[in-house]
Amino acid sequence: MTRSSRLVAGLVLWVVIAAVATFVLWTFRGSLDEAHFALAYLLVVLGASAREGRVVGLVLAVLCFVLFNFFLLPPYYSLAIEDTLAWWVLVAFLVTGTVAAELLYRAQRAVALAEQRAVEIERLAEEARHVEALREADRLKDAMLASVSHDLRTPLTSIRATAAEIRAEGNESAAIIEEEAERLNRFVTDLLDLSRIRADALPTEAEINAADDLIGAALERVRALPGAELIDVRLPADPSVPVGRFDFVQALRALGNLLENALRHSPAGTPVELEVFRSGGALVFEVRDRGPGVPREHRERLFEPFQTGSPRGGAGGTGLGLAIARGAARAQGGDVEYRPREGGGSVFALRLPAADVPGLS
Amino acid sequence: MPEDGETGRPLAPQELSDSFPSMSAAVLVVDDEPHIRRALRNALAGDFQRVLEAASAQEAVDLAAAHRPDIVILDLGLPDRPGQWVCAELRKWSSVPIIVLSAHHGESEKIRLLDEGADDYVTKPFSPAELLARVRAQLRRAHTAEPDGAGASVTIGDLVIDPGARTVRKSGEDVHLTPTEWELLRAFLRHAGKTLTHRQLFQAVWATSSGDPQQYLRVYVANLRRKLEPDAVRPALIITEPGVGYRFETGA
Repeated sequence: MTRSSRLVAGLVLWVVIAAVATFVLWTFRGSLDEAHFALAYLLVVLGASAREGRVVGLVLAVLCFVLFNFFLLPPYYSLAIEDTLAWWVLVAFLVTGTVAAELLYRAQRAVALAEQRAVEIERLAEEARHVEALREADRLKDAMLASVSHDLRTPLTSIRATAAEIRAEGNESAAIIEEEAERLNRFVTDLLDLSRIRADALPTEAEINAADDLIGAALERVRALPGAELIDVRLPADPSVPVGRFDFVQALRALGNLLENALRHSPAGTPVELEVFRSGGALVFEVRDRGPGVPREHRERLFEPFQTGSPRGGAGGTGLGLAIARGAARAQGGDVEYRPREGGGSVFALRLPAADVPGLS
Repeated sequence: MPEDGETGRPLAPQELSDSFPSMSAAVLVVDDEPHIRRALRNALAGDFQRVLEAASAQEAVDLAAAHRPDIVILDLGLPDRPGQWVCAELRKWSSVPIIVLSAHHGESEKIRLLDEGADDYVTKPFSPAELLARVRAQLRRAHTAEPDGAGASVTIGDLVIDPGARTVRKSGEDVHLTPTEWELLRAFLRHAGKTLTHRQLFQAVWATSSGDPQQYLRVYVANLRRKLEPDAVRPALIITEPGVGYRFETGA
């Protein structure tokens, strides 16, 4: 039922009640005086106000005023009034009825408001509890990640050290155990990084850093991979060191992953190029390979985790490298983008905020 | 059991060369994982007469006090007390080289340990060969008389650094260094082989002064590298420890 039709239904009901009350009072009018009539009508008005609200209450007050006058005050069946006192009773009734209806309405509104506030407070409290629970879950997750990383690395250390020992005794198969332990370790590290990126919880601390330093550390990171010694590094012809303001560890993660990715997809003997240059407000590190490139249909999902189905995954990688590279770059106002390389292959560009440094003495 | 006096004897330079043939007396391995202790014991047995083992922080401090090892390998995840405590306790009376084993990849923990007095760190899971290389480097450092930065000239590959005369020659040619680059190089020479945190380098170069120049520390290092290293992006002299600091390698 709509609001107005409910109002009309309520009004009709209370008009009927007022009519019935008038009929009863009219029947007994010989043994009753004005005060009794007024009180009876007041009850009707208050009842209407309480049940149906202010509007019905006010209409009923006026209606009862008329009924009172027309049927119960002499001269009967006329709106004229012969007794001054009766006239006063009637006016007093109208005022009392109106004021009572209004007061009742206000009281009810206050109650409704209070109830609404109570609901709101309950909802906020629920929300607060929810946020607290989320925070707690976050804390637990961090603690769990730290613990998982520690608990996994400890046995990995034993496995690796023991395998090295066996290899030192002349068993070359142990090298496989060492390599796989290392791969498992990379996987654990990547999963931890990815979960931090997902939670926007990558710790970043932007500092003035030199491009040489980042490139050197990234080359060191991929040193053991085939083709690493061939990486062709191109610095700007300008003799000053290119400088940016970024978090070194995260930037290293990004550039290291891009180099690793390029090395894994490069044909043997073809050098990977790494060029650094300044482009507006950005310090750009471009990693170029002569690998198979990325087909158009895979490009969009290239930076999503676990894209091992695409030509960029697999090949000994964890399938997380590019997702982490982009996440690590974006966490500090940078980005990683792909474009096909002219003449075949891929170009991955890492952009980081550049910085200007005065002459240093 | 060798006497302490004997273990503290500085080795002659020829004994320190390449394969590091001479046996050091004792190494203390602190780790609560028996498998790791066993693997380290086997890896280190060739270089040391004795491999001492401790499974807790308290045991480590007690053993170190009783046996005065030449070097300490300290795991951080000990059951009774944090590794920092062991570091701080040892540093109260000893300058024994401490190499920290860390299972966390967080840099702040390593920085804290290095600032606390540890000399180097290795992240788990490490290869024994990697650890052994670090151990040998630390022993070499401990046994070499620390240059005070104003002493005799140092030759590293084709570099000749004369701190007294404040000159550097690279392949016979003079290299010009700015005053700050000189301070940086002196700090590296004083602590050659030790991983220095950024903070430690700030303090060494700028002492008490603070502010603007410090934020360019990494740029100063890059400039110094370009002047000294044959290939600035494949450094052999000033090694970057990502997020932690730098290490000056003279033994390579």
